[in-house]
Amino acid sequence: MNATVFTLTLRQFAGQRRSLLMFGLALIPVALAIIFRLGEHLDQQEETANFLANVVITLILPLACLIIGTSALGSEIEDGTAVYILAKPVPRREIIAAKFAASVLIAAAFVVPATVVSGLIGLQGVSEEGIVTGFAIATLVGVFAYTAVFILLSLATSRALLFGLAYVFIWEGLITELFSGTRFLSIRQYCLGIADFFATVSEQEFEATIGGPEAFILAAVAAAGALFLAVRRLESFELTNTD
Amino acid sequence: MKTASETQPAGSSPAVTIEAVNVSHWYGNVVAVNDVSFSLGPGITGLLGPNGAGKSTILHMAAGFLRPSKGTVRIAGEGAWQNHEMYASVGFVPEREAVYPFLTGYQFVLLNARLYGLSDPADATRRAIRAVAMEAAQERRLGGYSKGMKQRLKVAAAIVHDPQILLLDEPFNGTDPAQRLQMMDLLRRMADEGRTIVFSSHILDEVERLARNVLVIVAGRLVASGDFRAIRRLMTDRPHTFTVQSSNNRRLAVALVADESVFGVELGDEHLTVRTSQFADFTRAAPRIARAEGITLHELLPTDESLESVFSYLVKR
Repeated sequence: MNATVFTLTLRQFAGQRRSLLMFGLALIPVALAIIFRLGEHLDQQEETANFLANVVITLILPLACLIIGTSALGSEIEDGTAVYILAKPVPRREIIAAKFAASVLIAAAFVVPATVVSGLIGLQGVSEEGIVTGFAIATLVGVFAYTAVFILLSLATSRALLFGLAYVFIWEGLITELFSGTRFLSIRQYCLGIADFFATVSEQEFEATIGGPEAFILAAVAAAGALFLAVRRLESFELTNTD
Repeated sequence: MKTASETQPAGSSPAVTIEAVNVSHWYGNVVAVNDVSFSLGPGITGLLGPNGAGKSTILHMAAGFLRPSKGTVRIAGEGAWQNHEMYASVGFVPEREAVYPFLTGYQFVLLNARLYGLSDPADATRRAIRAVAMEAAQERRLGGYSKGMKQRLKVAAAIVHDPQILLLDEPFNGTDPAQRLQMMDLLRRMADEGRTIVFSSHILDEVERLARNVLVIVAGRLVASGDFRAIRRLMTDRPHTFTVQSSNNRRLAVALVADESVFGVELGDEHLTVRTSQFADFTRAAPRIARAEGITLHELLPTDESLESVFSYLVKR
């Protein structure tokens, strides 16, 4: 990994509006958890698990990774500053590794604490039963997989944000719900499988369709595959604004 | 007309540092560069052509940022495409103004020095900033720089590793006259040290002041290359114009018009304007004719050897 690229990526993020957006995004589940706690609940564990699945895993996690992943290299490609990194004797895999590491660090720094805090608020007064631990690990794994895929997307198309949203809301939100056979191609399902693996609540309360070990392997394969392809794409990167 | 590929065959010289062999590039159905060949050695070469002629496309292929659709581009003997190691000896200044606005000038050049893997990046940064005379503004953020200041910092970032080859895409855009002169001096110094410098421009004056060697690109084709004064002399179908001053302009005019190489003489207040189709023949004939007439020649100057003359001729062809 190239430390200079890593540091530059962190500084880029700190100076952008995206940092405010991420902060706002991380506050959403915490605020919702507080509102959730104000109401009456029959089964606090089941409802918290479902809240974390439906709000954090389904919405906050992919959106946060989409914002960070597509901008890690995508914004530099768009504004032309990528050339200062690429016109250097630095292997492309080192650039991707640095961008990926910085993006994961940023996304995880917002999403994982948001998951833990909102989970603890939701479960206040009852035993945790591995729910917070499970969703925190699932979120972390999801950050790795989603970020890698969205970095690849930013190198594959100039409309990465649009395609990313389509993946999250149409593919994962609609198609994998309708056709269970496609769930092996959904990072959301991997995350739910991992959360379920660690949570000790009963199957009636929360059950994923992919087992924990399979979910870990699939998430690792998705992240590694996306990063491999991202390196290949970057090796063939072409400047397009020519006369 | 000869081109550089004829006058300097590709790959024939050990001094060749940039070589394009039958290079084409197209975007979809649009041909941006069409079968271009040239070889360049140390010194300054101006890549000249109207906007949209294909200059940046050629420069980007040389910089390894575009894959040639056909043909090959070699830098120091190695293919430029997918060759990140070549950047250890190549500097590239992009046309786009974008820089990292949150970095100071010093931090920006230092970032580049670190990415080049230099052993003492801080020292190299100070030297590069000094070379572009930006010491006074180096602690300011790039977001507050003028376009000309950004251009100079971009050059500093591209020369921080002391490259043997420097590629610059429209480097004088946005610079004021003083900045332009300063940058031209820097490029001349680098060329004098034996480096290969190629810059693109659509402004004739810039190219003429900095480079004798040109690659003229029109509609994606290399229409001429080499010393533009030599190219001018090869344009045999277009008359050359000389201004002549002598001890007796009127009598010299009569004598010159009788020579076969001359087909027009205009008598001005203080000089003659002579048109000839044969540059070399006329330069030999004029002193001989003057001597035979007992006239002293004070001045014999070719007046249309400018790059503008070459360029307008080539573009209209």
